[in-house]
Amino acid sequence: MPGKQRYNRYEKARILGARALQVSYGAPVLIETDQTEPILIAAEEYDAGALPFTVRRGRGDE
Amino acid sequence: MTEFDVSADVEAVVEDRDIPEDLREDVYRVVEERSLSVEAADEIAKAVENRYRETRVEPLDPVGTVSAQSIGEPGTQLTMNTFHYAGVAEIDVTQGLPRLIELVDARKTPDTPMMTIYLEDEYAESRERAHEVVWQLEATKILALGDVSTNVADMNVSIDLNPDTLQERWPTVADTGEIAGEIAEIIEDSLGVTTIQKGTNVQFGPEEPSYRDLLQLVEELREITFKGIEEISRVVIRKEDVETPEDEEREEFVLYTEGSSFGDALEIEGVDASRSSCNNIHEIHRTLGIEAARETIIEETNDTLKEQGLDNVNVRHLMLVADMMTNRGEIESIGRHGISGSKESVLARAAFEVTVNHLLDAAIHGEVDDLNGVTENVIVGKPIKLGTGDVDLRMGSLSKSGEQAD
Repeated sequence: MPGKQRYNRYEKARILGARALQVSYGAPVLIETDQTEPILIAAEEYDAGALPFTVRRGRGDE
Repeated sequence: MTEFDVSADVEAVVEDRDIPEDLREDVYRVVEERSLSVEAADEIAKAVENRYRETRVEPLDPVGTVSAQSIGEPGTQLTMNTFHYAGVAEIDVTQGLPRLIELVDARKTPDTPMMTIYLEDEYAESRERAHEVVWQLEATKILALGDVSTNVADMNVSIDLNPDTLQERWPTVADTGEIAGEIAEIIEDSLGVTTIQKGTNVQFGPEEPSYRDLLQLVEELREITFKGIEEISRVVIRKEDVETPEDEEREEFVLYTEGSSFGDALEIEGVDASRSSCNNIHEIHRTLGIEAARETIIEETNDTLKEQGLDNVNVRHLMLVADMMTNRGEIESIGRHGISGSKESVLARAAFEVTVNHLLDAAIHGEVDDLNGVTENVIVGKPIKLGTGDVDLRMGSLSKSGEQAD
């Protein structure tokens, strides 16, 4: 499937970290959630596939 | 394709999965043993594929650090004693930590050089034929061949060669007189004297009568190698169970040598060059090339750890070390004189040793540091190019389908 990317743990951690920082600075949350901690909100957004990030991979891996 | 008895359909679904050959064979084995359906085979292959993916090293993993720790920890449990006999009877081989350090430092000659010589078929099966090879290998000095007596009154040295020993060590020559002649010739060539040979007795003396010259000649005589390879001081024959290429066990004679000269040894008739080996990685490199040297580094480090009961170190760590040591086409040591010393970054070198000198030299030559490595970035306080620090994250999605959760 196009655009379907499997992230490894480093990429996932980086994405969650970046998103949590945005949320903590007051960025609009993209999903419905009961969470209040930025990092937990970021995790739910990640699981829902709502995050608008792209990971650029320099070396030809999968 | 596979040796296991499975249907073409099973083979098709398993081949479709992205798994390595040996795991694939394992899947076939299980499918055959339990005579499973195509669907079940597909399920298994899928599960294996998933598990295999999970256990692979991920991109951005700090493999070098993990290897260093995985070898370093068992390394603390190695003996610090230099000597210990190895599995081979009567031959002392450096073991444990000193041997590991020796390998990683890529010493020109190991502390205890040795070779393991396997023999070709007809030599491997009989002790007599194996002995023929031994005499070709082991350095034969004059004291092993006969008695040397010095006659001060006549100003000459007399050697009484032992005919039985001659016959034993030169099995291809029938006449002992002829062998003695050969020996006399070697003496003439290497000492520059004229010899008189009568049967198995060889006599010679200094040109001018001189007590000192006479003793000098005897000294030099003892050093001459009459047969065999100079470096090899001793050879031990052992009968061992060896696995043949056809997966059968058979008994054959294997030679272990104290001292090594791998290139010369391989030239000798009867030596099986495809199986013989040597514990000096530089000799292997010279005779068989860099790939063989890499293989030997892996084998030797693995054996050193195994000998001390530390066989649970994954070979991949050792392979990484061997790759680093050989990937420039020649053997480089790890450490100050090798890989760590040739780093490009000034800051990385300065952090390692003699800080001021490195900084001073770099300043004099106007060196520029591009801050590409790990050490440099730790020093200046930037994220390092490893793990989370090397993910290039961009805002905005390239596709509309959104992300896939793990």
